[in-house]
Amino acid sequence: MRPILSIASTTVGEAIRRRVLLIILLIGVLFLAVAPGLGVLSARSETTVLRGMMLGIIQLTSAVIAIVLTVYMLPNEIERRTIYTILSKPVQRWQFLVGKYLGAVSALAIMMCLMSVVMVLMYWYQQHAPISEIANLLKAPMMYFVQMSLLAAVAVMFSTFVSPLVNFFLSGGLYLVGSLFNPFFETLSSNNNTPAFTKTVAKFINLVLPNFANYNVQNPIINPQQTIGNETQYFINVTVYGVLYILGLLVVGILIFDRREV
Amino acid sequence: MQRKPSSLALGLVAAAFVGQAALQGGTIFGTWEKNYSPGKGQLVSGGLSPDQMLFALSGFREMVAGILWVRADAFFDSGNYDAILPIIRLVTLLDPNEIDVYATGMWHIGYNFTDEEQRSDRRYIPSALALGKEGAAKNPNTYELFFETGWMWYHKIDDDYENAVSWFEKAKLRDDMLPARKDLLSMAYQRAGRVDDGLQNYYGLYDDASAVYKKDKAFGNHQHMDTIENNIDTMLVRMVQRGYEAEKQGRPLDGYDANPPFDVGFSVKATVLEPRVIRFEGTWNVLPVGTRIRVVLKDQDFKNAEPAGMKWDFSDNVNLDPPKNETFMQDQLYVKNRRFNRKVDMSKDPTMYPFTGQDYVMEFFYNPRSAPPHIQDKFSWNGEGMTDKNFLNTNVRPGQRVMYTTLKLTRDMILRRGEWQDRVPVIKTTNYQETGTTKQDEDVILNVPSLRGN
Repeated sequence: MRPILSIASTTVGEAIRRRVLLIILLIGVLFLAVAPGLGVLSARSETTVLRGMMLGIIQLTSAVIAIVLTVYMLPNEIERRTIYTILSKPVQRWQFLVGKYLGAVSALAIMMCLMSVVMVLMYWYQQHAPISEIANLLKAPMMYFVQMSLLAAVAVMFSTFVSPLVNFFLSGGLYLVGSLFNPFFETLSSNNNTPAFTKTVAKFINLVLPNFANYNVQNPIINPQQTIGNETQYFINVTVYGVLYILGLLVVGILIFDRREV
Repeated sequence: MQRKPSSLALGLVAAAFVGQAALQGGTIFGTWEKNYSPGKGQLVSGGLSPDQMLFALSGFREMVAGILWVRADAFFDSGNYDAILPIIRLVTLLDPNEIDVYATGMWHIGYNFTDEEQRSDRRYIPSALALGKEGAAKNPNTYELFFETGWMWYHKIDDDYENAVSWFEKAKLRDDMLPARKDLLSMAYQRAGRVDDGLQNYYGLYDDASAVYKKDKAFGNHQHMDTIENNIDTMLVRMVQRGYEAEKQGRPLDGYDANPPFDVGFSVKATVLEPRVIRFEGTWNVLPVGTRIRVVLKDQDFKNAEPAGMKWDFSDNVNLDPPKNETFMQDQLYVKNRRFNRKVDMSKDPTMYPFTGQDYVMEFFYNPRSAPPHIQDKFSWNGEGMTDKNFLNTNVRPGQRVMYTTLKLTRDMILRRGEWQDRVPVIKTTNYQETGTTKQDEDVILNVPSLRGN
């Protein structure tokens, strides 16, 4: 366990020192800071617009950070040949990969926490909202964290066998498809004219693809009038779903990385 | 040398994928579809550019909806109403819980598309109602859209009050309905002819207001209780004066204000002054101000039209592009000194009044239920105190006595074409007498009673 934790903590330090990530984070924080200004422009919907904007900014920024953070992780280690120094120590390849992943997720958590704190401060400043309302607002970033951890796992898995640029588009593309497929599948399922074969194929894809849309839980948080049936159970289900998917992706990544010549 | 993957690793991968698939297919998707789905089965497509579509469906739909609504606000400020319509539709599709957008959108669609003389385009009303129905169905936990849809029936359509009652009743079932708004249900009951229900509603509201005041002696609570009490007093006096109970019990109405019925003596002449410009002149023997006679000029075969009305909620689809080949003009003829004289100019708005059909009908309609209380005090709720020698009608509104008549026009007449190019089309009721020939001295002046007893 110790090698994993060592690699993870080193990865966190590296991530925090990377300028590109800090710039993305800074842009996200700046957008969060100006978001209340947009809410004022909207007649009678200030709160709705403010919540929607802030959560959207956190999600978008986190997705970019998750991808940029993870696509370069393994290739950089190989390119700079630091991987040889690490693997010459009593460190297994799977420990290296898991350590890297946990480090990336921890760095992501820190950055998302920072954005969430800014969001809470701005929201409190604008709305003077009670604690319960703010706690409700924080449910979405928590779910986004699971979503981004899954995205990071996708990118880490791809990084074991493709170049960073290709990985960027592969992971980004999968994120988009995974976010789009739930609504698309829903439309296909509810349409009586959809052929049975198409429905079966869509069902298969829906079961196999990582469904990032599952974590887009912001609608009832933005619109308090919507009542959610058994929210806790849903959050537990999607978290377990994410953990299982991440586990599967990491094991696949380990298997590929294990067989790769470095 | 490459190693063979261990069976434990492969087993883990298999278990993880099977587990996630079971969760996704078994429980997650169903819950997501119910609670978090973007459009409850609808894919947003029309009008969205691919990048907007991508953003909207990638989890940023509320953000996109918010940005669009901000943009709509700017269009609204600059008076660019046409640009707002598609945005309203997009925002409600992207975020079906934006109650304000539904409410504002309904009002906007129903009220704000007007011609140069501020007559609204009633071809949009079915769309406004459809938006309200959709909004209410998607936000069943709040009273707002039930109330707004009821208000559209009550105030804008100003007819067929049973629909207003039905929506207000649904709104009242929601816990968050403001107490002051519940009062309106009593007014809607009265206009629907359900006087007893109106009174019972007031009694219920008074009990609620008293209970609230007992708990909290705030001035506002006392004021609300007083308002309802005053409303109950006024209604009871009106019921007595109009002979409501006597009529219900089958007793003669002698001595009550609604008896004998007063002949309103309606007559009208419509003159097509210029193409698409019509002057309406006529008589209405009621002296006190406050009478508005409804005039409608529409295609003879206007879809979903009925005598003296229309099936306003015939559609569940929000169609922001109403039929461009149909004409429906509705205006009010205000009576002053027992006469009305109004010029209706439709020439500046050819898209609203296309006049593409051949035959048109003008409807003149007066329903005491829409009358102001001081006139209703004479005519009563169902027109018991009103008659018209020529145009009293008891068929178009079963159980009510209303004034209703129609006159016909052709397209050539309205556009002053063909044989009407040099001749002025004049259409009038047989009883119409030119101004100056009416025997003013013999006119019966309606003495409208008042609650003050004089």
